[in-house]
Amino acid sequence: MKIVFTSSGTDWDALIDPRFGRTAYLVLFNEDTAHFEVIDNGAVQADAHGAGTATAQQIYALHPDVLITGNGPGETAAKALKNLNMRIYVDAHNLSLKEAYLKYQQNALKAL
Amino acid sequence: MHEVVVLSGKGGTGKTSVTASFSVLAAGNTIIADCDVDAANMHLLMDPKTQQQEAFYSGELAELDLASCISCGKCKESCHIDAISVIKDTYRINAFRCEGCGYCALICPTEAISMKARRSGDFFLSIARTGDPMAHARLDPGADNSGKLVAKVKTEAKKLAERYQRDFILVDGAPGIGCPVVSSLAGANYVALVTEPSASGLHDLKRLVEVLQKFRLKAGCIINKADLQPEQAEQIKAYCNEKNIDLLGSLPYDPAFTEAMIQGKTVVETSAALKQKISRIWETIQYKINSL
Repeated sequence: MKIVFTSSGTDWDALIDPRFGRTAYLVLFNEDTAHFEVIDNGAVQADAHGAGTATAQQIYALHPDVLITGNGPGETAAKALKNLNMRIYVDAHNLSLKEAYLKYQQNALKAL
Repeated sequence: MHEVVVLSGKGGTGKTSVTASFSVLAAGNTIIADCDVDAANMHLLMDPKTQQQEAFYSGELAELDLASCISCGKCKESCHIDAISVIKDTYRINAFRCEGCGYCALICPTEAISMKARRSGDFFLSIARTGDPMAHARLDPGADNSGKLVAKVKTEAKKLAERYQRDFILVDGAPGIGCPVVSSLAGANYVALVTEPSASGLHDLKRLVEVLQKFRLKAGCIINKADLQPEQAEQIKAYCNEKNIDLLGSLPYDPAFTEAMIQGKTVVETSAALKQKISRIWETIQYKINSL
């Protein structure tokens, strides 16, 4: 499973970024290979408009199976992501990536 | 740390008066964030002393270097929003009209036009008169993109809450349901809705509740000026019950609000009766947050 997190930092202890569009980083974790990759979303953060769809496009390119985020994508971005057949879990803010991942494994996150 | 966002839908319901009152009641344990950056006014009540100020840039603006301009007129022709004018053979770019698309810069044969980051306002880190840190901002007239500036205010407020070990971030949001409002909701733990008993008060409240539900946010409602139209107030209560919105309390119409405002104060500092009512509402909000 490839899991992408919206993250405010670059390691497992970083907090989930509640923002979808203007998230500071995207973190991609591949459960099969244990590969941990950080994608700087600073360019999108600095965009004047369309941050949600721009981040959705970034995620599209990563082709994850699961997205773990905070408040969740807005309507337009959610529509764009639907085509990915990805499971989306929300309200994981106030958790670190590590905590969110454990909760995901226990099936304790809220699905969108 | 708990983030309480105060919103109203309709403007003029008393949102800022209520937020400022909460920040006086929570003094010593809160960070204040004014996210109504289009028409920031929390500073009028909190008298912040600015510690740090930085320019906020968003989007781009075309800039014309007259020394390289050959007055060929191609830029003016290509500008679909009519942002380029000619006065006595001199070409000018109207910064209020320019939307930063960059077309003129692309086609200018002498490369006299370049795209520059657009200064859209200012961001401030201050200490309010209550002694609490305050993050606020001011968007320039006609400037674009309040949502991005709101994101900046919120990020900085969160950092302040960590640095100063505060339990609360009190966010004064913008009216309406647009970009700055959605941006002010990110990461919110609880939303306090300040409304008034009028047809537009209820109508705008409903629109806002729709937005809140998309983000699954827990909210409570304060009916301000409730005694002006008791029947409308009852309708608001019924609507809140139906939508599972906590009823946090009602406030009467009271000239004390305006009088306090003129003195640059909050009603909890000038009226014992209102202090009692607003304290009770603030306690209810804390109770609701703790039982989430």
